[in-house]
Amino acid sequence: MMRLAVVVLAALVPSTFTLPAPARAAETDATSEMVLGAIEDAIRPAYRDFAATSARLLDDMASLCNAPGSETLAEARSAFRNAAVAWSVAEMVRFGPVREDNRLERILFWPDRRSIGLKQVQALLATKDETATNAEALSGKSVAVQGLGALEFVLFGTGAEELYSEAGFRCSYGSAIATNIAGIATALETEWTEAERVAASWTEPGPDNAAWRDDAEALGELADILIHGLELVRDVRISGFLGETPNEDRSKRALFWRSEVTVASMRANVEALANIFESAGFDGHLGPDEGWVADSIRFEFDNAISTLKAIDAPVEALVSNPESRQKLAYVRVVTSTLSNLVGRQLTGAFGLTAGFSSLDGD
Amino acid sequence: MGAKITRRALLAGGAALLARPRTLSASNEGRELFAAAYKERTGGYGVAILAGDGDIVSRLPLPDRGHDITCDPACGRFVAFARRPGLFAVVFDRRGRRAPVTIAAAKGRHFFGHGVFSSDGKLLYATENDFDRASGMIGVYDASDGFKRLGEFPTHGMDPHELLLMPDGKTLAVANGGIETHPDFGRAKLNLATMEPSLVFIDSEHGDLVEKHGLPAALHRLSIRHMAIDAAGRCWFGCQFEGPQSATPPLLGHVAQGNGVTLIEIPEDTLRSMRNYVGSVAYNAKENMIAISSPRGNRMAVVDAGTAALRHVESLTEVCGLASHGEGFVASTGDGAIVFASGAHKRYDDLVWDNHILHIG
Repeated sequence: MMRLAVVVLAALVPSTFTLPAPARAAETDATSEMVLGAIEDAIRPAYRDFAATSARLLDDMASLCNAPGSETLAEARSAFRNAAVAWSVAEMVRFGPVREDNRLERILFWPDRRSIGLKQVQALLATKDETATNAEALSGKSVAVQGLGALEFVLFGTGAEELYSEAGFRCSYGSAIATNIAGIATALETEWTEAERVAASWTEPGPDNAAWRDDAEALGELADILIHGLELVRDVRISGFLGETPNEDRSKRALFWRSEVTVASMRANVEALANIFESAGFDGHLGPDEGWVADSIRFEFDNAISTLKAIDAPVEALVSNPESRQKLAYVRVVTSTLSNLVGRQLTGAFGLTAGFSSLDGD
Repeated sequence: MGAKITRRALLAGGAALLARPRTLSASNEGRELFAAAYKERTGGYGVAILAGDGDIVSRLPLPDRGHDITCDPACGRFVAFARRPGLFAVVFDRRGRRAPVTIAAAKGRHFFGHGVFSSDGKLLYATENDFDRASGMIGVYDASDGFKRLGEFPTHGMDPHELLLMPDGKTLAVANGGIETHPDFGRAKLNLATMEPSLVFIDSEHGDLVEKHGLPAALHRLSIRHMAIDAAGRCWFGCQFEGPQSATPPLLGHVAQGNGVTLIEIPEDTLRSMRNYVGSVAYNAKENMIAISSPRGNRMAVVDAGTAALRHVESLTEVCGLASHGEGFVASTGDGAIVFASGAHKRYDDLVWDNHILHIG
């Protein structure tokens, strides 16, 4: 029976069906060059910035708790905004070290559609749970109470005005969150920088490599950052609050609406993707008749970024102004165009399969 | 993204979107047939009926992207479900004697892409999402009365994906994938840190929970999604891992009513080649073997259902759909190929196959 099964199954796959030759097969040197370009010029700098802004946030939270007042609060809030925007660059990479220990969710649990996280944060503040003022104990609590979303509520949410005068539980809890975030940020930066870690693995695909077994998988991971990132900006970040029509808008469902960096965050997302595209140098590996793909991608990235620059306002004001609302809706359309250009044209040019049947969860 | 199909539009006459299938005719009587959802590379969607040599017998249009297909016990009717978060299912008459019937998702629900008929063919069960409560449901439809929705019962978990009818003809096996999604956020996963996948057995008549099987806490990110039932009545399941890709959790297991979960150890090299993603599971009764596919890893693996030993591994670009066929399996791929166990194969340059393929007679 064993022998029969093997014979039958061997016949199942005629040789013509094993990995057909793509238009341009991913080659080791070219793949490593593109992946390394993205790591060195986009990914490592992104984690470096996030670690630096998180460290600054930690310092400014400590200053606030030492001397609560309007000036120290303004500095802590500004440091929060910088860290949130820096994270919006780094978060486009959603694999590797960030997937260990729930780091992605611990830094930012969002969307919090059923307000579970918000309720947990409010409960902590109401009960003044002292264990939440210790960063280590905090890191073992719900992912929703230890990241940027929780700290945003501490600094900008209902009751934040006490920080003008009080160095009480709210400030200590905020400080513990900042310590927790800074700790994760440092670990991420280290793991992306150290030799023999994720960067080495990703640039050296092969049969013995745990995560990337050939060039196509390594290059596919790079393309996936763009594909998934564009989908995230469109489906989660924009469509999360921008309805098809104005009466379907839900401005308080926008990420970072309290700290008013919603648009800055989305712009950082798109700029991060554009930077990864440029740093990888995809266009240097396209054929002469495929140059238009890179040109079009660059053109659309520029469109999205310049439009987001032009509408940087708090969400409520943005969506209540028909003109800026229209522009945001336009950015949503541009991300769809980009998804098509990257997901079909660019991946096609590199002989990568578009993953029609392997999207998550089907 | 294609044009949005709204629930209202479907209720208002979605069936009009669908032409009566002309090519499904009596001439197909007695022929071996398969069905699979496809996307045309130019953008349209549909279900193809395929003959045993891979030839497309007919193409039946769908209003949007389909996913799995199920058929009634006699396979006189088959149903194509919209891919999640889809809002429709379409019932076709295999002989083409009746116009297709479109089932619109109930208000506040969407389909997950899978369904199954009751053993007498009178009811249709579909996995659905009560998305505002993030709660898995089974919608129950009256197959003898225009597929009117009769009611629903909970799956005791989130994200129910495939469901099958157990050999006793009355127990439903449901794979609760455990991933929270909401149509307001597309396909974004909202709860990876707190996932709790499970495989549940539910009494199909009253909706009572019979048994619930979870995974060890260390594997809480291992989404249970697809299943096949073997001759011993065990429910085999394939998983997709939402944790770090450097980890190699088991991707295949089985559970029988009255027994716990058994996770199958697959040799590491093969396991890694699946890239933490099983897209489909099928069982071949003649050879007592289970096949799993990984469109991400471009691999299919076949395991002996009796000994759990790995029998065979094959490379096939974007392989996903699997169905038992003869002494092996037929496979469909995301780059348009249909590959039969007999060695017959066809490639369609103008379309790509969705995740599943079903034997319909």
